[in-house]
Amino acid sequence: MACVDGDPAAFGPVYDALAPVAYGTSLGVLRDPDHAAEVTQEVMVEVWQTAERFDPSRASARTWVATLARRRAVDRVRAEQARRDRDQRDVDSAIGGSSYDVVAEDVERRLEGAAVRRCLDSLTATQREAVVDAYYGGRTYREVAERLGAALPTVKSRIRDGLGRLRDCLGVARA
Amino acid sequence: MPDSTRDSWDLLPAYALDAVDDLERRAVERLLADDAEARRALDEYREVVAAFAVEHEPPAHLRATVMERISASAADGATPAADDGGTAGEAEVVELASRRRRWGVLAVAAAAVVAVAVPTTVAIQATVEQNRLQEQVDTVAEMMADPSATLLRSDVTGGGYATVLAAGDDFLFSAGDLPDVGDDSVYQLWLVGAEGGVTSAGLLEPQDGEVEQLVSDVSGVGLAVSVEPEGGSEQPTTDPIVVLAEG
Repeated sequence: MACVDGDPAAFGPVYDALAPVAYGTSLGVLRDPDHAAEVTQEVMVEVWQTAERFDPSRASARTWVATLARRRAVDRVRAEQARRDRDQRDVDSAIGGSSYDVVAEDVERRLEGAAVRRCLDSLTATQREAVVDAYYGGRTYREVAERLGAALPTVKSRIRDGLGRLRDCLGVARA
Repeated sequence: MPDSTRDSWDLLPAYALDAVDDLERRAVERLLADDAEARRALDEYREVVAAFAVEHEPPAHLRATVMERISASAADGATPAADDGGTAGEAEVVELASRRRRWGVLAVAAAAVVAVAVPTTVAIQATVEQNRLQEQVDTVAEMMADPSATLLRSDVTGGGYATVLAAGDDFLFSAGDLPDVGDDSVYQLWLVGAEGGVTSAGLLEPQDGEVEQLVSDVSGVGLAVSVEPEGGSEQPTTDPIVVLAEG
């Protein structure tokens, strides 16, 4: 029996359409092209293996791939940070830790072309700071709170309210 | 609602940002397993987070690496039906058909990503888009085991875009970003006959502007959509807002 759906050649155009989303997402978080390329490779193999789980009623293909890529990129940041914590001598690692601090101009540059950009103005300065720090820093909200010297529940609600405003501004609703 | 459930709800936005620790991640995933409302809320937050992504062409060599890896994994036993003998024949067909359908859904969704990502106003990029769309067509055609399949795409008057995958007597219609037409009107799908006549192919009910409808086993050259009064019409009463037909 011919297994048409399992034909790897059929994956080429899917790769072409979605790999830029995976690579762009990874690069946004990791900033290092080699790490981003490795993550993209893992993500696209995962897309191939788990295509059956893709549910168009829950997300667009783009959102699905961006979600997979972000999860893997953040995992990599965390693993890298844990490794650095264990090995203090390795101070010039390409990713993670203080080299990860998010500077305003840098964020502007990275957001160039992002759909969310025009909506960030609808956030308060503190909401924006918390969301952007969590997004680009790959940090947990607990780490964001420590870094900003703010209380945990405060940061949690800034992130929640910030994403809520972005959701309204972007017109995202799956009612 | 118990405190732990409320806590997990509170964490959904941070979870969508992957900004939770492992313990919290598991707590949120328990909530998601039980609660469809929570899943819907998460889908919205994920769409917001995905709006941060800026597409970027990966290094060219990566494509070959990925294709090699998936070829290897396909050769490793991606044909589970092979050693079952003849007894489960029918189930295999269903399973293959359903896997094929899902692949088709992803390929069409991926085609929409390409179509939207490339501005059509720039001639050279339009050519690139056409070539890439042709590749999509080839692929979906392969998957549907019909070499004559074609993929047509157009913007919709009034907003949104629509594609039709035509394979023999089957048409897969899909559209996105369709604006709400209000309670008194509906989107109606029409089958366009070879002589130019149209017959109703049903009403479209977009969810969040997106809709997919399969019109199978019909004779026609394409599909069209018009906005009709509530309940639909026998024949179109307004000009079509999109026509996707061959030739």
